[in-house]
Amino acid sequence: MGAIVAGCLTSHAPNITAKPVIADPAQRVRFVAGLEEMRRRLRAARPDVLVVFANDHLQNFFYDNMPAVCVGVAERYWAPSKGGAEFLRVPARQIAGARDWAKAFVHAGLEQGFDLAYAHELEFWDDVSVPLHFLLPDADVPIVPILINCVAPPLPRPRRSYELGAFVQAFIEDARPRAERVALLGSGGISHWIGVPDHGRINPEFDRRVLDAIREGRGETLAFWSHDEIEKEGGNGGQEIRNWIAVLGALHGKKGDVLAYEPVTDWLTGCGAVWMDV
Amino acid sequence: MSDYHLNKLLFDTAGRHRMVESIADEAELAPYDLTAEEREALRDGDLARLYELGANPYLIRRVFRPRFKI
Repeated sequence: MGAIVAGCLTSHAPNITAKPVIADPAQRVRFVAGLEEMRRRLRAARPDVLVVFANDHLQNFFYDNMPAVCVGVAERYWAPSKGGAEFLRVPARQIAGARDWAKAFVHAGLEQGFDLAYAHELEFWDDVSVPLHFLLPDADVPIVPILINCVAPPLPRPRRSYELGAFVQAFIEDARPRAERVALLGSGGISHWIGVPDHGRINPEFDRRVLDAIREGRGETLAFWSHDEIEKEGGNGGQEIRNWIAVLGALHGKKGDVLAYEPVTDWLTGCGAVWMDV
Repeated sequence: MSDYHLNKLLFDTAGRHRMVESIADEAELAPYDLTAEEREALRDGDLARLYELGANPYLIRRVFRPRFKI
């Protein structure tokens, strides 16, 4: 029986690393301080593996073959890839994948009725690379990326993310070796409007509702939101909240400690960093 | 479903790291099965119209990057 030893929720956006100085300096300092505190806590939790719930931005997948949920089963990943590194303005680097863990998880899913797609090759942009730039600067914990479709509708419903998280939790508890220490990270959101007619909009009111629910241990309520509610209040980028919801599903009923929240207009994103009780 | 081809054009363009204000070149459009409306919106660089026609906003953002201030 393994254990979940950490749960992290963060936003991602290319400009966080690409154009840090365009943000209001006070906001930038506070948000980065939140991520640094998260890094210290994550390190203290001594995880053996980090499961990252994130989403592709159509750099890996296209409409010719679009998985709802896809597990990375590679030995290593580019995070960021060379192409991603150019616009994120951080060096391209590789990070090890926890391949055996990922394959065992896919098998468990298929055996137990949670049909998962899997991929032996994935490249990451801001989705995975920006959080890991801050949280795993030495890339010293192997990762299992689990990509949830948040960008190419129709999307899996938020409830499915919660169920996915619960399935991950059960897998860790039932099928993993004793003393294995697993950390979880959900990367995405909170509100943002990208590439749509309202491009650049952020809705701090939506963000606070998300954060309040998590702070009070009511994370499950997020799982009952519909696609249309999220689109209207949190924007098309807000659909990435599915990645947070997966972590909340794995930590059912637990409360979160909001380390930082800044609606950073010039980063185009309501930027949150939440440390979960486990 | 024609917006598949519209998105395919944008996906292929983004994959070449090409960033443009509009797409009007016949040779570039020829391989894709596009409607007259889609061609017009591409030629005009009408991003709101492309979105209405089903273009994925993340691809709009990548391909038409010069059209965005931030």
